[in-house]
Amino acid sequence: MADVTITIDGNKVTAPAGTLLIEVCKSIGTEVPAFCYYPGLSLQAACRMCLVEIEKMPKMQTACTVPISEGMVVHTTTDKVRQARKSTLEFLLGNHPLDCPVCDAGGECELQDMTFSYGAAESKFMEAKLHRDEQQWSPVVFFDRPRCILCYRCVRVCGEAMDVWALGVQNRGSASIIAPNEGDHLECEECGMCIDICPVGALTSGAYRYKTRPWEMKHVGTTCMHCGDGCKTTLGVRRHETGMQIVRGDNRDKSGINGDFLCIKGRYAFDVTHSDERLTQPLVRHEGRLTPATWEAALELVASTFKRIRDEHGGSAIGVIGSNRTTNEENYLLQKFARVVLGSNNIDHHRTADFPALAAALKNTQVRTAGMRDVFNAKTILLIGNNPTDQHPLLAWQIRNNVRLHKARLFVVNAQDIKLHRQATAFAQVPSGSEAFAAAFLAGNDSVGESVGGDARNALLAMRQALKGAEEAVVIFGSEIRGAQVKAAVNLASALNAKIACLGDYANSRGAADMGLYPDLLPGYAQTSSEIFTGHWGALPEQPGWNIEQMVNAARDGQLRALLCVGSNPVVRYNVDPFVLQKTFLVVNEMFMTETASLATVVLPAACAYEKSGTFTNTMGDLQVVKKAGDLAGTKPDFEIVIEIADRMGFDVRKLVSLGGGTRADMGQSRGAQTGEADRHAVWLEAQNLEPRMTPFDPAAVLDEIQRLVPGYGEASRLNVAAGNDEHTTALEAGQGSATSDPDLVVPSEDTLFTSGTLGRYSNTLHSVIESRRKVPADKKTPV
Amino acid sequence: MNAIRAIGGILKGMSVTFREMFRPTIVENYPDGAGPYKGARFEPRFRGLHVLQRDESGLEKCVACFLCAAACPSNCIYIEAAENTAERRISGAERYAEVYNIDYNRCIFCGFCVEACPTDAITHGHGFELATFNASNLVYRKEQLLAPMPKEIQSAVQREELRAHAPEMAH
Ligand code: SF4
Ligand code: SF4
Ligand code: SF4
Ligand code: SF4
Ligand code: SF4
Ligand code: FES
Repeated sequence: MADVTITIDGNKVTAPAGTLLIEVCKSIGTEVPAFCYYPGLSLQAACRMCLVEIEKMPKMQTACTVPISEGMVVHTTTDKVRQARKSTLEFLLGNHPLDCPVCDAGGECELQDMTFSYGAAESKFMEAKLHRDEQQWSPVVFFDRPRCILCYRCVRVCGEAMDVWALGVQNRGSASIIAPNEGDHLECEECGMCIDICPVGALTSGAYRYKTRPWEMKHVGTTCMHCGDGCKTTLGVRRHETGMQIVRGDNRDKSGINGDFLCIKGRYAFDVTHSDERLTQPLVRHEGRLTPATWEAALELVASTFKRIRDEHGGSAIGVIGSNRTTNEENYLLQKFARVVLGSNNIDHHRTADFPALAAALKNTQVRTAGMRDVFNAKTILLIGNNPTDQHPLLAWQIRNNVRLHKARLFVVNAQDIKLHRQATAFAQVPSGSEAFAAAFLAGNDSVGESVGGDARNALLAMRQALKGAEEAVVIFGSEIRGAQVKAAVNLASALNAKIACLGDYANSRGAADMGLYPDLLPGYAQTSSEIFTGHWGALPEQPGWNIEQMVNAARDGQLRALLCVGSNPVVRYNVDPFVLQKTFLVVNEMFMTETASLATVVLPAACAYEKSGTFTNTMGDLQVVKKAGDLAGTKPDFEIVIEIADRMGFDVRKLVSLGGGTRADMGQSRGAQTGEADRHAVWLEAQNLEPRMTPFDPAAVLDEIQRLVPGYGEASRLNVAAGNDEHTTALEAGQGSATSDPDLVVPSEDTLFTSGTLGRYSNTLHSVIESRRKVPADKKTPV
Repeated sequence: MNAIRAIGGILKGMSVTFREMFRPTIVENYPDGAGPYKGARFEPRFRGLHVLQRDESGLEKCVACFLCAAACPSNCIYIEAAENTAERRISGAERYAEVYNIDYNRCIFCGFCVEACPTDAITHGHGFELATFNASNLVYRKEQLLAPMPKEIQSAVQREELRAHAPEMAH
């Protein structure tokens, strides 16, 4: 719209006509207090806190609903405005309890702040205040009615933004009360968005209530350790006898790819970190039983056994299974350890999406990968397979709110009638297993039309018409499409000139893939003979190693003599017969006594993602920082464990972790560009303005190497990542990939909103909400 | 003349001494006096060892709001909060202080905590004999700071507990 110029307190401001006055004020730093106004939600004008004077208008106006127009003259600092704010506060406080000392919002309460800024601390009301007892609406949502100021933010965020509509208003006028959908309790997604958005302490969190106060905690911004979407989350930590305990999760500064959003897992499922079942002591099998041991003894046993097997039977007698939840640095280190120290290509992980096939399919095309932010800004979104509401809650949020706020068109192709159907411009239900045919059909390949059935064919035909000429499109597909079929999705994206995204589960499944936890691929989807890596690491085993299934078979035949299993539960995931692993020297790094850990010879208690630093790559390829928040005495990060094992095997850890040239002061005389023996890592570090690392336990040293060697990671700005922002990486486009991998090895987690793989089994919160016990996924229930 | 003047001076001085001998004493009989302070007496507003007060029904007044800890300039108050339950009610409000420590190595007796407390729970008592040979003794725990339970309530509580655990002995 055309720009108009208005005057605010004597300052001339130019902004597009129709912009809300409150936003214009905010843009020039003039504060207009507001309770009910919230950017991105519908306008309410319920609280009257934002009243300002506008010349030629008879009464004061609510700045949150007035669109600006040419020549407006606005006053926000007059006595009249000041008095209006004061009176509004006086009314709000009329029946407000004096709870601040015990109220969870105390210290970060908008009502407190306003009362401090605009006065009205004294009440003229003599009447006794109306008291209502606190109500528990669900294990995670509590409601203290007298504290509610009826701003309706909770109702709107739950309805409009979450599309759950679990909260409503009962009665009218001053008798209004906020009420949950089931009368006395809530049945909803338990996301806690309503609690987060409540400006006061009316809605409080079951996990955090009455525990501490905001200023008593340390706030650590990190990345969620549950699903593959990578929400930024701020963990509130406080001192505890076993280290540092996490007491709260939210997205405090509303930054990052998720803005306001966190699902129940990001907000509450940090409780696994202080579960009673956490392992805090190494265990070594002794006369058939796992018995506590010291770290030294356990690591020595592991290192000496690995060394003996490697020297006697060769590296191929040892296998390594990596994790979807360890950091990029740990994954990179782990596969480098396998290849360089153990001399084995037998490395794999639990695959939840076919990233190598996508990398292979992207070769020689113009198709780029989409980041999580692209989904919020795209004009057209095509979703094939998956159910983001359950499996990718942030993705679902991005799609919903893009449709709501930007009028994006959403096209859904799915075997089930998923909840996002409600936002869809068009929906096509195809038989399960024919998603790839649908993609091919949409791309214009008529010959596959029969495979999807008649009804679906018509729906797809209409969709194909509607997609013609789509701009700024994104194609997103789930693990239903894998192996050679991925090509069909890439062709479709290519035909639509769209970006593409592939959905994997778990916090760092994409990172595990990018960092080369594959028997036939090095980091960056490079071939095992790739010169990028042999040039820096020396000779590598050339033959592709065993994948998980082959490792299990080799264990049965007695060929796999040792197996290191890091943060993974293959016994359950791949249905491994427990007796198969009996003869294998099995080492498991785990947080809990899982089915796999209980078979191990040595169990090493590992720190979780909230207890270490590094980076994660979400399923869309956005690189984000992971920062240490909690701390549990007795555990070690997998990074440290791997380095200690390598060290005890007699391996020079300087070859494993690039310590740069900085720790030996050779002043460039013996090494350097002129001598012909340049320390390439040191040269790279200097060119990137980075310091040489001083300790092998510094994950940043490995990130340096990742950025130097892995294609697609080098361009990511370190500064931006360190500052807590996301950087899109492009390893998928840059790598060779492998079109031959076995699609059967892709085992999606089928998580719902209330499960999170093995980890989720140990979260009391996820178990406590009643929705986690229902049989049908979240979206199957008819909306109320 | 000089001798007379000198004697006069002495007499003048001694007259003060004799006069004071018959006046009431103002020296305190510390530490041989009676009472908890061994004879030491204080102005009412003297700021000594803190006391955590109880309300009329014997519940702790402190609601673990952490404001005293926030106000403390020497950062010597450490609190851990916990929630009251129906079975175990410690304070009058929803929350109580499970741990409440004051580190007297650092406390400067400024009274800011008392000023900050919204429930008048923390007050300065008159306790002053804090010297010790071991600095770790100077971290006072909640149990050391709490005001004693009023007598009548204490016996009522005991009766209550007895009734719950050994009904036959309650009378
Ligand atoms: S909502 Fe805010 S003003 Fe009300 S009791 Fe809580 S902290 Fe105090
Ligand atoms: S927890 Fe989430 S879904 Fe439930 S009522 Fe609150 S906003 Fe709605
Ligand atoms: S509960 Fe909170 S967010 Fe909801 S209307 Fe009341 S004050 Fe507003
Ligand atoms: S959507 Fe995924 S990343 Fe975001 S909070 Fe939920 S589980 Fe964590
Ligand atoms: S003593 Fe007073 S100020 Fe300190 S935590 Fe208790 S109630 Fe709050
Ligand atoms: S913010 Fe404008 S009326 Fe509430």
